[in-house]
Amino acid sequence: MSWVQRTPLVRGPGEEGDVFDEEADESLLVQREWRSHMQRRVKEGYRDGIDAGKAVTLQQGFNQGYKEGAEIIINYGQLRGTLSALLSWCHLHDNGSALISKINNLLDAVGQCEEYVLRHLKSVTSQPHVVDLLDSIHDMDLCPVAPAEKKTDETKDERLRENHAELHKNCSKSPGEAGRSSLECCRVSEHEHSENPSLTWILEQTAGLVKQLGISLDILQHLKQL
Amino acid sequence: MAGSQDMFDAIVMADERFHGEGYQEGYEEGNSLGIIEGRQYGTLHGAKIGSEIGCYQGFAFTWRCLLHSCATEKDSKKMKALESLIGMIQKFPYDDPTYDKLHEDLDKIRGKFKQLCSLLNVQPDFKISAEGSGLSF
Repeated sequence: MSWVQRTPLVRGPGEEGDVFDEEADESLLVQREWRSHMQRRVKEGYRDGIDAGKAVTLQQGFNQGYKEGAEIIINYGQLRGTLSALLSWCHLHDNGSALISKINNLLDAVGQCEEYVLRHLKSVTSQPHVVDLLDSIHDMDLCPVAPAEKKTDETKDERLRENHAELHKNCSKSPGEAGRSSLECCRVSEHEHSENPSLTWILEQTAGLVKQLGISLDILQHLKQL
Repeated sequence: MAGSQDMFDAIVMADERFHGEGYQEGYEEGNSLGIIEGRQYGTLHGAKIGSEIGCYQGFAFTWRCLLHSCATEKDSKKMKALESLIGMIQKFPYDDPTYDKLHEDLDKIRGKFKQLCSLLNVQPDFKISAEGSGLSF
């Protein structure tokens, strides 16, 4: 709203510096009043504008986020469902407690993965917006309006892509070679503060489990893209 | 008289102009705020649905394979329930919040899932069901 300050004060000729003008004080007062009134109008307009602008895009943003959240998290859900099915199968067929606790550990690991990704998704969306920065740049009159707006979109896309790339990178991060012995890896909570259990690792473990149960690996076919 | 009328118009117009310019600036800001805020809510809701539907999907697909690997005659009832659940899930547009029968279909899927579990005689403890409804706008 810097332009409010730029608005020139309306002063009649000869009025300036006229110490003996009895009306001078009064006109200054009127000017101040006028300015504060206009500033108030600008602020009111701004508030109304925010509300109106938000109302237009809120649903659009919701739909966009909904799709993203659903598409990413469904994979974790599928893995959890698969492990739950195996767990219930083991319970039904009395397959020793070692297997059952292993599945439970894997289920915990999936839950952690899911939580981590969800947290990440949330923080991605709450980052400061590029538009804010560009607004400041715009206020500094460094660049003409039109290209700046175009650039905003590009930067936005770029940022989204980066975030996605980072997300995928983080999700597929492996917990490291050292932690690969099954016992250690199952104690996922120990890794909690260092690294998140990776989906690939959980999948490997699940495949091993399926083999141990003497079931064909075709059973994991639906977890294609993980 | 005409002069003071002009003056009055000028004041009213300035009033509107200032309001309008503030509005314009606010509107643009509001647009991007709306996207951000909407996305935050949307992500959470979408993730909840995705998690729940994915769970049913993984569960159903896995049990279908398990039943296939050791099928007996009396499993046909279980198989039927399984196939019906899988069909419902596949038809369900889980990533579309504008789908008008979202709640209705979701309830049917939950019901079918419960039915399947009792047929299979299992009680999977999905964390999702402990949280209650997957969608509460």
